[in-house]
Amino acid sequence: MNPDSIFTFTCPVKTNSGNKALENLPIELSSLNAGKPLIVTNIGKVGRTAIRTLTGAFGDSGMTLGVFDGLADKVDPALIEQLRTTFIEEKYDSIIALGGGTIVDSAKVLNLAVSMKTADVQSLSAQTSIRKSLLPLVVVPTADATGLETSQLADLNGTILSSEYLAPGLVVIDPRLTRGKDGKTICATGLAALGLALDAHIGAEKNPFRKAYSVAAIHFIKENLPVAVRNPDDKKATLAVINAAAMSGCAFSIADAAPLHKLGQVFQEVHNIHPGIIMGMCLPHILGDYLNQGRNDLSSLLHPLTGDDEFTQTPEAQRARAAVAVLNYFTADLYSALGKDMPQTLKEAGVPPYVMEDILEVLDADQNGVYLHTVVERIQDKTPVAERKG
Amino acid sequence: MIPMVLPDYYEFCCRVKIVTGHDTLEKIPDLLAGKGAKKPLIITDNGVAGAGLIDIVSRALQDRLAGTLIADNVPPDSDLRIVHQLAQLYRDNSCDAIIAVGGGSVMDTAKGVNIVVSENASDLMAFSGAGALKRPLKPLIAIPTTAGTGSEVTQVAVIKDHEKHLKMAFLSYFLLPDVSILDSRMTMTMPPFVTAMTGMDALSHAIEAYYCLQKNPLSDAHALSAVNMIYQYLPTVAQNPSDKNGRLAMSVGACLAGIAFSNSMTGIVHNLGHASGSVCGVPHGLAMAILLPYGLEYNMHKCEDTIARLLLPMAGEAVYLSTAKEQRAQKVVSLIRQLNEDLHKITDGRHARCFREVKDRESKPTVPREVLPQIAKAALLDGASIYNPEETDYEDNLMVLEAAWEGCPLERSKLKKG
Repeated sequence: MNPDSIFTFTCPVKTNSGNKALENLPIELSSLNAGKPLIVTNIGKVGRTAIRTLTGAFGDSGMTLGVFDGLADKVDPALIEQLRTTFIEEKYDSIIALGGGTIVDSAKVLNLAVSMKTADVQSLSAQTSIRKSLLPLVVVPTADATGLETSQLADLNGTILSSEYLAPGLVVIDPRLTRGKDGKTICATGLAALGLALDAHIGAEKNPFRKAYSVAAIHFIKENLPVAVRNPDDKKATLAVINAAAMSGCAFSIADAAPLHKLGQVFQEVHNIHPGIIMGMCLPHILGDYLNQGRNDLSSLLHPLTGDDEFTQTPEAQRARAAVAVLNYFTADLYSALGKDMPQTLKEAGVPPYVMEDILEVLDADQNGVYLHTVVERIQDKTPVAERKG
Repeated sequence: MIPMVLPDYYEFCCRVKIVTGHDTLEKIPDLLAGKGAKKPLIITDNGVAGAGLIDIVSRALQDRLAGTLIADNVPPDSDLRIVHQLAQLYRDNSCDAIIAVGGGSVMDTAKGVNIVVSENASDLMAFSGAGALKRPLKPLIAIPTTAGTGSEVTQVAVIKDHEKHLKMAFLSYFLLPDVSILDSRMTMTMPPFVTAMTGMDALSHAIEAYYCLQKNPLSDAHALSAVNMIYQYLPTVAQNPSDKNGRLAMSVGACLAGIAFSNSMTGIVHNLGHASGSVCGVPHGLAMAILLPYGLEYNMHKCEDTIARLLLPMAGEAVYLSTAKEQRAQKVVSLIRQLNEDLHKITDGRHARCFREVKDRESKPTVPREVLPQIAKAALLDGASIYNPEETDYEDNLMVLEAAWEGCPLERSKLKKG
């Protein structure tokens, strides 16, 4: 660390990971003085079995559970307002979000609406000041997580709410729920986690506490994603990927100029595509640009990517380039394992031209818009094979 | 590869907001306002106050919190009576937050006071043990004045009832302070021998966290980063107490180590250290410094690869590359012995290298050799042993203590195998 560095860091998230992690939920909730949780999820996304596994974990705990499995694919303010009314009338005291991405965004917004007595969800804005603890929120991520579940952000259809109080108090990662339905799903999750962890690791706001999370996330993605993508049913590998996703959200800070995150978020927002798919496409281009800009902090990525021996044996001046080469090889390998299943360009992903216009409009409003624009242009079509090989 | 292993099951938590810098105390009024508090009670001890640290804190609070109440009577050993007395003071003055400024005993006391005032309790005892607390307590800001204990980020408090000769432990995530402020001004006046032993305490947290059975990827990442900073900066600040950046780096390192060990627990070094403290009053940090190399040697056959991995963050690339793979774990041990040796020199011999060198104020030996069996026995009753990689017993405890008394490395032939 640069000992001059002056920083503030908080990670309000407790992590419980591994075998039968769900079975500890009743104890965890009661230790937070909660006894009547409302489970919110999207049955179309997580499936009936996952919901059963979660509710089954409460066994004979005597806790009353509410289950709402009808969340929309987007964060739906009207629906959240209805849920808020139900939550208050039925006297629920905590929220469990089962799933990833917008499911958790919805749960965070619901928690805000319930805790801050906000009847009009649309009135929430980036300026909304959140200064008090909200009700206990537990996230139980599934294989299609985005990493942002554990972050201090909630995405209300493009309006980014940010507060340490939005982060869940607990993330429960259970191997029964982390197996992917296909390689593409877990690949997108892993790439999203990698993107967030990279943004955090070399971002402007880095500090040793955040780095603990980003190092572990990068390491687990590198080691486990290739296995998980080839065998999405692999318990150990998928558990590690979802752990990495949770860690990446803890490491992530919106204060970084985080181009990977921004691009992923905008495409998810406008076109409902998993942010990891976009981040994977952008990764080689952005890394290449960093190299050309002479960003030597890339060299610190080589250690979590390759370990003690390779890191120390690579001369310092070559580490940044070596880290980028490792990452490019890594992503190229994932794409080759998945073949046509994993789009490598916006064209392959089927993003229509009229959507592109909306996306570019949103990006242009960003302070980094000009640059982000150039990245989007480069991922439109044509696989940049030469660059990927590094 | 960095072999970071994902355990079959693990938990990790540190919800404390960490604020670091050279003038972070000035942020206290805003941090309190963020928690809806404006009338804090400062809890400290007279050593901290006497060193002028409370004046620095008071100046930082300036007009916004002028006239903040200060209680500086925390004894070196936490005391139930003082906890209740301070809780009364808090209530009588309608305080709404606590600022703890000090080392382990101050932090423990402040946590105890917070339980009493938040739960509106008449007796702290009712909340002892694990999980008795069910809701957030009053805002607590922890300002450590040593870079060692890590108690600014732990969920534990130990309070002694001196009348009943009881030691009560309290364990809850609600005991985690809301904010920890690491400000270089708070550790700058620590004398070299205190710097040395508290720093070695922090190093022992990081290293034990890294080899103990409850380790997990996040405790590992915190531990490695802590080892790196502490090993690098401890000799520097012992030598140059006014090195601002070094002081801050040590505070950050000790805090990282605190997070690591409170999530992965500690082993034989802490086990024997607690026992030697309770049997003959060896200062905790000093016991940690003395025992650390022996703990590593004792566990070597169980986790040689793990110990070897400490070499790179400790000694850096040149040493790592020039040390043969099978020598790396042993090199870690010898570097720690050397660090103790260096600290011994820097402190003109006040930093003891082995138990026989520990002396009290009248220069009498603190640990007479004949009490070692008593320490070995007392250690059997301490919970820290269950997370140690090798299973300890009375004979092993005694063997380690005798070696650490004499200052001779453990004989490998006498250690357990496999």
